[in-house]
Amino acid sequence: MIRLESVTKSYSTEVTALRDASFEVAKGEFVFLVGPSGSGKSTILRLMNRQEQPERGEVWVAGKDINAMPDSKVPFLRRNIGNIFQDYKLLLNKTVFENVAFALEVIGRPKHVIKQQVPAVLDLVGLSDKEDRFPHQLSGGEQQRVSIARAFVNRPLILLADEPTGNLDPATGEGIMRLLDRINGTGTTVVMATHDQRIVNQMRKRVVQLDRGVIVRDQERGVYD
Amino acid sequence: MLARISYAFRETWASFKRNVTLTAAAVVTSAVSLLLVGSTFLIQRAFDNLLTRWKGDVELIVYVRSDASPEQIAFIQEAIESQPTIIDVSKLRYLDQAESYAEAQKLFAGDPGTLRLLTPENIPSQFKVVPTTDDSNLIRELGESFRGVEGVREVAYAQDVFDVVSRVSQFIRVATTVMSIVLLMVAIGLIWNTIRTAMFARRREIEVMKLVGATNWFIRIPFMLEGLLQGLIGGVLSCAGLWGLNTAWSNAVTDFNDTELAALVVSDGYVRWVMVMLLVIGAAAGAIGSGIAASRFLDV
Repeated sequence: MIRLESVTKSYSTEVTALRDASFEVAKGEFVFLVGPSGSGKSTILRLMNRQEQPERGEVWVAGKDINAMPDSKVPFLRRNIGNIFQDYKLLLNKTVFENVAFALEVIGRPKHVIKQQVPAVLDLVGLSDKEDRFPHQLSGGEQQRVSIARAFVNRPLILLADEPTGNLDPATGEGIMRLLDRINGTGTTVVMATHDQRIVNQMRKRVVQLDRGVIVRDQERGVYD
Repeated sequence: MLARISYAFRETWASFKRNVTLTAAAVVTSAVSLLLVGSTFLIQRAFDNLLTRWKGDVELIVYVRSDASPEQIAFIQEAIESQPTIIDVSKLRYLDQAESYAEAQKLFAGDPGTLRLLTPENIPSQFKVVPTTDDSNLIRELGESFRGVEGVREVAYAQDVFDVVSRVSQFIRVATTVMSIVLLMVAIGLIWNTIRTAMFARRREIEVMKLVGATNWFIRIPFMLEGLLQGLIGGVLSCAGLWGLNTAWSNAVTDFNDTELAALVVSDGYVRWVMVMLLVIGAAAGAIGSGIAASRFLDV
């Protein structure tokens, strides 16, 4: 589903964010990217949906070399990739329903599709009763569920999560992880960057560890370190 | 499709309301600059009217009485053509009464009183003479020699009008053109700025839109519509201004009852054409300016 081939990315001449990184993620897999801040976890995620382009190497997503595709095709690549962030990135002036609907609206989905799919995905994340709330009326965990609903409403092949539990207390974080695990169970490939040791150790999924831009460990059913 | 269109209009309207002051500034500036553009067109047209009779290096016009006989006309023509050292015979043009009447329609557009008195039957026909010499004394001498000839009604010299008019018109033309270009650039700059502000206000939304796979055009179009609307409203205001100015000017000139000045009035048909131009320029400048601005700031 995703393949990095000796990818190198630097943001300036001094800072190399990623050095000669290669690994492959199979369809339906759940992968943790772990490592300290600045080790290149986020860079990998940003390379996977072409928010960044590497200096060297190739990034293949769903059978395509995404750095070879023209800019005009990038939106269509991104429709197959859901994104979740530590800070949720919700639109504060929109309700829960509108936030999720927005993702479908801006890719031109018709109203009747929106009316049907948004409640379904809100039900999945357990927020059916909070459709009309605004983000500031929700807890952190609930806001993250909204952002997961938004990322998943279009049933993407891949879900990229950048520290999704970073702002949450352990119990709430566990709830989010159960939800991501369920989504992974539907066949969606999940790549999650985190430095939450407890969660990684609990889940026992594949772990790719980074240190200063270099992949130092790639382990099935791994632990944090 | 319908969902996309309604989305675009909703966003445009919301953004319009959000930036009232900047929008107003952009609209007013584009209105003023377009008004200047329009005025330039009209002023040029007015001076062109004034000089219509003298187009094509014509320096001398011999007007022939409307009741002149064909023989008299033939005689005048021969007399003119017998001076090949002074005039360019190949460029000598005779406007018969029908042609002269058509010309008068343009010339006296602002002077319906004079126009009403003219008919294709009573209007003088005319010989337009292009000289080969620059010596104005020679041309004047030649002209004067026709004054007494039977059938000649009047002799007019381009020089009398030209020296003043062409110099004044040249100056005004350059001045208004420069001013309108500068102001148009200021207007585009202001529209650019409102779009940038609008995009900054919505940067979170734009970021999310890009991440969920909205195309750049989808993101750009509401902003382009906003710019187009600003330019268009500016255009409408400038049209109103232009119409008012032209009406006031026409009334003032008609009051003078001076046929020479009456040529400075521009016909309604031309004014309407200029107004359409202003709307098109306003809308296009607004849409293109904001489209470029949107593209510039779209790299989230």
